[in-house]
Amino acid sequence: MSRPTHFLISLIATFALVAGGVNESHAKSPVDFARDIAPVLERHCIRCHQPANAKSELSLATFADLAGNGYVVPGEPNGSHLLDVVTAAIGEEPLMPKEGPPLSESDVELLRRWIAEGANWPDEIVVREKPKADRTWWSLQPLAVTEPPSEAIPSAWDKNPIDRFIYLQLAANKLEPNPRADRRTLLRRMTYDITGLPPTPEEADAFLHDDAPEAYERLVDRLLASPHYGEHWGRHWLDVTRFGESTGFEINHLVENAWPFRDYVIRSFNDDKPFDRFVIEHLAGDAVGPGDAAIEVGLTFLVCGPVDIVGNADAAQAAQIRADAMDEMIRATSEAFLGLTIGCARCHDHKFDPVSQQDYYRLFATFTGVRHGDRLVGPQDQLRERKQKLAQLEAQKKQVLDEKSAAEKSAGEGFDSQKFDMQLAELEQQIKGLPAFPSLRVGNFEQPVRPQHVFLGGDAGRSGETAAPASISTLGEVAEPYALSDDAPEQLRRLALARWIVAADNPLTSRVLANRLWHYHFGTGIVATTSDFGYMGEKPTHPQLLDWLASRLHAEGWRLKPVHKLIVMSETYQQSSAYRAEAAQVDANARLLWRFPPRRLAAEEIRDTILLLAGRLEDRGGGPGFQLYQYSRDNVATYTPLESFGPETYRRSVYHQNARASRIDLLTDFDAPDCAFSVSRRIPTSTPSQALALMNHSFTMSMAESLAARLLTEAGDDDVPAQVNLAFELAFGREPASAEAAAALALAEQYGVRAFCRALLNSSELIYVN
Amino acid sequence: MHFNNILARRVREQVLSRRGFLSNAFSGLAGIGLASLLNDELSAASDVPAARGLPHFLAKAKRVLQIFCPGGASHIDLWDHKPALEKHHGQPLPGEEGIVTFQGKNGSLMKSPWPFARAGQSGKMISRLLPHVARHVDDIAFIHSMQSKTNTHGPGCVFMNTGTIFEGFPSTGAWVGYALGSENQNLPAYVAIPDIRGEPPNGKANWSNGFLPAQHQAVVMAAQQPLRNVALPTGVSPDEERATRGFLRMLNERHAAENPGSSELQARINAYELAARMQLSGPEVLNLAAETSATHQLYKTDDPNPLKAAYARNCLLARRLLEQGVRYVNLYCASRASGVDGLLNWDAHKTLQADYDRHCPIFDEPTAALLTDLKQRGLLQETLVLWTTEFGRMPTHQEGVTGRDHNPDGFTCWMMGAGVKGGTTIGATDEFGRRAEVDPVTVWDYYATALKLLGLDHTRLTYYHNGLDRRLTDVHGNVLNELLNN
Repeated sequence: MSRPTHFLISLIATFALVAGGVNESHAKSPVDFARDIAPVLERHCIRCHQPANAKSELSLATFADLAGNGYVVPGEPNGSHLLDVVTAAIGEEPLMPKEGPPLSESDVELLRRWIAEGANWPDEIVVREKPKADRTWWSLQPLAVTEPPSEAIPSAWDKNPIDRFIYLQLAANKLEPNPRADRRTLLRRMTYDITGLPPTPEEADAFLHDDAPEAYERLVDRLLASPHYGEHWGRHWLDVTRFGESTGFEINHLVENAWPFRDYVIRSFNDDKPFDRFVIEHLAGDAVGPGDAAIEVGLTFLVCGPVDIVGNADAAQAAQIRADAMDEMIRATSEAFLGLTIGCARCHDHKFDPVSQQDYYRLFATFTGVRHGDRLVGPQDQLRERKQKLAQLEAQKKQVLDEKSAAEKSAGEGFDSQKFDMQLAELEQQIKGLPAFPSLRVGNFEQPVRPQHVFLGGDAGRSGETAAPASISTLGEVAEPYALSDDAPEQLRRLALARWIVAADNPLTSRVLANRLWHYHFGTGIVATTSDFGYMGEKPTHPQLLDWLASRLHAEGWRLKPVHKLIVMSETYQQSSAYRAEAAQVDANARLLWRFPPRRLAAEEIRDTILLLAGRLEDRGGGPGFQLYQYSRDNVATYTPLESFGPETYRRSVYHQNARASRIDLLTDFDAPDCAFSVSRRIPTSTPSQALALMNHSFTMSMAESLAARLLTEAGDDDVPAQVNLAFELAFGREPASAEAAAALALAEQYGVRAFCRALLNSSELIYVN
Repeated sequence: MHFNNILARRVREQVLSRRGFLSNAFSGLAGIGLASLLNDELSAASDVPAARGLPHFLAKAKRVLQIFCPGGASHIDLWDHKPALEKHHGQPLPGEEGIVTFQGKNGSLMKSPWPFARAGQSGKMISRLLPHVARHVDDIAFIHSMQSKTNTHGPGCVFMNTGTIFEGFPSTGAWVGYALGSENQNLPAYVAIPDIRGEPPNGKANWSNGFLPAQHQAVVMAAQQPLRNVALPTGVSPDEERATRGFLRMLNERHAAENPGSSELQARINAYELAARMQLSGPEVLNLAAETSATHQLYKTDDPNPLKAAYARNCLLARRLLEQGVRYVNLYCASRASGVDGLLNWDAHKTLQADYDRHCPIFDEPTAALLTDLKQRGLLQETLVLWTTEFGRMPTHQEGVTGRDHNPDGFTCWMMGAGVKGGTTIGATDEFGRRAEVDPVTVWDYYATALKLLGLDHTRLTYYHNGLDRRLTDVHGNVLNELLNN
């Protein structure tokens, strides 16, 4: 019973026009369902009584729904139960609606007349609950062709188009930007921003002594070319993709072969892989790189969320658990790429955004062939050959074993096993010699055998209309839609979705991506709710700039590095973070960017910084992750935080094997997420547990010791003042003030340099960036 | 959904996301909940009525003790007396003969291995397994018609604690801490006390802050497990500690002064002060030796059964925490699923009698002592006590064994203390205890009621996350007014 959606929309628009507009002029003319009745049902009834929900098994979406229950008997108002429930007995409230105000007398009278006149309800009209935002919502419009505004502005802010957008909006609010930050500050800001690490003294020296006009640009280029860029920006993306390395839920076992996805993300960022390609690999890597582990590994995206693998003999519960796993995939996909909370349409049409329940189940049908688990990845023919050979060898092995035990039985004590053992060893050798293919957590794919149905109320046991794999209606005619048949090949379903997501006419994907870049550079996105571009999200502070940046992504062939460069080359980015009370009165959070917003480092940056400062950070990327917990498992897993961290853990935090529902000293304390679902932004907190961990965990003590040893080596054994100076230089990139130097010296002389280092590792200046 | 909250939420979001959260879980002063956050932080920025005025109404309860028996504690062997089970023992469950549930096929109806007896003035029938807790029935309001959404432990425990079966959502304690903050200067607002046998199913997700800011997660502490990272590092003397902190404070204050306009920097300095106080108060509250021997005798902290003694010590710790003004204490009796069903928790699949003969003596006397102690110290008047489990068990035995499978369709939870009408029972399962039949109660109803007692309207306690103003009670929840004293 799917209907042309454009008709529905125009109908809804009509309802909107007449909603509340039931007036006297209509009173004499015959009741018109679309004009008079549908709006009443829509306002008062449909939220609870719709096919998706059907409270008390009653829907008011179509006439068949209503008449089937005897609620309306055409021509007989007195025999129609509908009127009873909306009419109050004297002194009482009417039974319905349960939630919301009663119907007005004129509404009830309209219903009565409509029934008396024969209850005419045109077949094509389906009453639907209207979301708060319709398809005219800002984020669903095509990218506006925007040119940077051309008004005259100061020449320094005239060159980079970003600055023109920002400056003019500041001016419109009677604000001025800050002057440029000093070079030391810029160096530290940008090095952290692009690599997640502080500049080394050598890097600082080189930049601060480079007087060439293009020194800053050279710095930008160097940093964007650094392999640390991928480690830092890859970590951002791992948040968005809710990448976790344990199954979650009750079992929560570690997943030992998910890390290749982490390396793939890092590599892709470093290689500046076009983002459209990246998305396609996430959803359909098996289609665009079949058998190529370096590409298929992108599919880990589909299956790296939490999944309940306990198993359930109760079929209804098992079906619901499976639907939950699909739901997790749908939410992650729609939030990460589209900035849409499609998950809200699981049980009913989205209450806020124009996403229908049918849309949700189109995605369900798209993913329904995906199974969580591992798969050997390699060329199909080679895998097949390997499988056959392996089966042969295993069969031979079994035969030899059988022969051996038979011979042993008949020979008794004098049995000589040598002949058999040699054969077995030979077979083992051959099995080992088979070509090896990596077993990756990339899921398995099965061709769905039945059409997908809408699950009424989200209940996997209650099927509604069918839903075929197709694009969602939300973007209407903005992005070219596609619709596959019920029996479309499984892989094609995912590929079609991926292509639709990155299609040039899909305005959401590039807007969402451009906004994420902005968010990580400036601490807040142009849209603050980076994964929600719907009604419940925030509206953009600079909509034209957002569209301009999104268009740049398209123009750059979806490569991110040119856009990063544009952003960090801007005056907007280079201005100082100095606080001005009068500007703060207008714009306290600097959303208009009258200053560069200072930020606290993220958990991983804090830990990496401490390691680097102590001279212990091992620059070794890739491979299986390290663990800051003790992992024990029987049929469920337990993660116990470690009391001390050995040198094998002295790698960048992005290489930590992040298990769900585990609590990691420092990382959890400083707001590293659990990745139970797509994390669009982290909320920095200041808590005593941070202070306790950073003051007292043995990690801080051993790092303080290492730093002290480093100072000793580099500044001279018995020259404590030189050690203090060096420490300030390394930690803060500045010399100590005289009061600081005196206090540091006193502490170091009485309790050793280690005590001074411990304090330094706890300082605010170390973990805040201006 | 309350649209008038949206503006309040937006303002709140800005504070939370851009300026960091000037709060922490650990003090009444800076450990502000939403109430004071919105008053102090946003008074200038916001004139939204919904952004002020928490609690929403007069609170009966100031704090909560939640006792959680993970594993699916059997309602029909503990609280919900079913004479029909005795009568029809060995006969098939009518209409559901051989039904397949979580672990597989069910056999016939199985009576409880233990008799029930009347208790208290109210004459409530309680299993003989729980003679000590039975003495408190006149203060307890039983809900016999609880229902869960899932028959699986992990999601079930998380559902019972957070109102959703998925991970990543805030637990009730986190919500309450977020709304009301702490009453204490030196201790966290929310403490989880895991059992000595280990964490409950789904582990730390049970006391997670979910999407609420990190300071709302429970701090884990137990008699067997001191507060994490409170001990001074080896080799650091108190003098060195004092000197180091003094120097650090100077550095941080200079830095804060040079960077005006950021309340985070001052919040961080405060957090270090609070951490220093916790280094004293943490061990202090854990120092059970400060209690009289009569108290130890009451709780049975030196019981020869080491599991009972360990749980008793945690009961005593719970009282000390509540006494100090900790807002929400989550006390666990038993732990996760193990290779052997029912060994480490209440999950009696195969050997019900042996399992509960082991678990009930651990639970009964120390729990009863805790309730007695709260009452005799006058704490019960302002403390809401919740007893919960993730689901109940089938009235049948599992095929081939003498244990019961999971049953999310009907089970028992209870409440007592502040504002709760004692000696009452609401709802009922059918004659065998298979399904909630009279006035079914959801987890959301249960917490809507608990929040009401804390002065909170569950429909108005919201936090924006991934597209929605989220609530502990999702889009559900009806306050169980019959349970409330007027």
